[in-house]
Amino acid sequence: MRAKVSTVLAFLAAPKLWLIIFFILPMMTMVLYSFWRVADYQIVADFTLRNYQKIGGNLYVNVFLSTIRLSLYVTALSLLIGYPVAYFLARKVRRFRLTLLLLVILPLWTSYLVRTYAWMLILGTQGVVNQALMSLGLIDAPFTALLYSDVAVTIALVHIYMPYLILPLYAVLEKIDPSVLEAAWDLGGGRLRTFLSVILPLSLPGIASGCLFVFIPSMGAFVTPELLGGTRSIMIGSIIAQQFGVAYEYPFGSAMALVLMGLIFAAAAATLRYGRPRGTA
Amino acid sequence: MTRRDPAKLVLGAWTGVVLLFLFAPLVIVAIFSVNDSTISRFPMSGLTLGWYRKLFGNAALHAALVNSLIIAFATVVLSCSLGILSAVGIHRYGGRLAGGLRAFSLTPMMVPRLVIGIALLSFYNLLQADLSLLTVIAGHVVMTLPYVILITSARLVGFDKSLEEAAWDLGAGTFTIFREITVPFLKPAIVAAALMSFTLSFDEVVVTFFTTGNDNTLPMIIWSMLRFGITPEVNAIATITVLITGLFAVVAELSLRQAQART
Repeated sequence: MRAKVSTVLAFLAAPKLWLIIFFILPMMTMVLYSFWRVADYQIVADFTLRNYQKIGGNLYVNVFLSTIRLSLYVTALSLLIGYPVAYFLARKVRRFRLTLLLLVILPLWTSYLVRTYAWMLILGTQGVVNQALMSLGLIDAPFTALLYSDVAVTIALVHIYMPYLILPLYAVLEKIDPSVLEAAWDLGGGRLRTFLSVILPLSLPGIASGCLFVFIPSMGAFVTPELLGGTRSIMIGSIIAQQFGVAYEYPFGSAMALVLMGLIFAAAAATLRYGRPRGTA
Repeated sequence: MTRRDPAKLVLGAWTGVVLLFLFAPLVIVAIFSVNDSTISRFPMSGLTLGWYRKLFGNAALHAALVNSLIIAFATVVLSCSLGILSAVGIHRYGGRLAGGLRAFSLTPMMVPRLVIGIALLSFYNLLQADLSLLTVIAGHVVMTLPYVILITSARLVGFDKSLEEAAWDLGAGTFTIFREITVPFLKPAIVAAALMSFTLSFDEVVVTFFTTGNDNTLPMIIWSMLRFGITPEVNAIATITVLITGLFAVVAELSLRQAQART
């Protein structure tokens, strides 16, 4: 089948053009702005490295570090919680498999804003958890430290992004050939041994992409730390967002966003490199 | 093997707990939306639909709902047309470049919404463009396009190319083939992709926050209400949006599944 050049262009160019105009050019604008500065509430095209030097200060380095730490916690927890679920769906159920899978996907379709908000109701001073503890007589006064803390932000981010980890993991686990497992059994590998030396290595690609699907949005989280973090748990997303609000520090905000993207790309490159399946399979 | 599998029991129970963790918070929001006290706490003093009634009388909310719908519909139309063209184009003409082209199309997925939003804001700022619903729609299309391409590409994997070739041999033109053969085959994926981009756009707050001018959307109203604390109306709006998007998800999933069963 031969097609005219114009047809090929129509199919390929139109969508690419949209991404170039509304995604690539905006990203390049940020690169440009990150080397400019603000004077008298105007962005001035005046080359400077000051924005990047400012990020090197203690304050911002600490926020970056705590954002990385919190995102790693969220990713690790999601993996620990999600792996058994993906394994169960892929290898242990038949009859209700599709229904259960739908239930896991369903929350992904609901608003992350609403799901963040739900944790305000649960963890707040007047929230469900405090009331339950008080009515059981376990505590006399409500915990005020539940909401507006790293713990609240971590729980909500796990809640919001964990299903993204289950999906690719499920896809990989489902494809493992049962005969491979039977072979491992026949060779005398126990359950644990088979899991550790056969299933786990084979599922590494799913673990890698699943972890990225959780780590990336966590690093850039803005709504969740803003609503649940208060002044005690500050993530870089909130600081970046502030620069694009009344602070009107687009150049500094752009520089921070680019450092964030650099960290994300480094994490993605490392994860995808080490997430290849090992062994002969 | 028919013997009892203890691992299956343990894993099944764990899956149940995880599903509870995923759904209980949403159920709690829904329960409080019919609570007749202004304080969201148990035990509830009584039931009411008053918060829902109050929403219907709220003019600002009406305007926001209309804006959200305009943005979502425009996003669906643009994102699905561009996404289908892109997926089909890559599938047909991509050749050796197919992998790279697809990866490029999916990059916005790898960028946090916050960065998509502020990058667009910087771009509009540089161009001194006025922020409006149009600037929001442009951003929502960037955000939803990868999902459309992903869903349609997955369906195209099972596409029998000989159908197109037969039509070509019988003298049909490229666009006739596209309209009469490719699109009907893709229909279930298009339905799913449309519903998915609708919900993604309808629920989006971060990209909208940075790219909108004076126009509010429904999630933006929820967002501004939440910054002043919890009010019972939020429970009602939240419950309505969750129910709508939940319904869409089920329809989309069934559409894809029926198609899989048929082919």
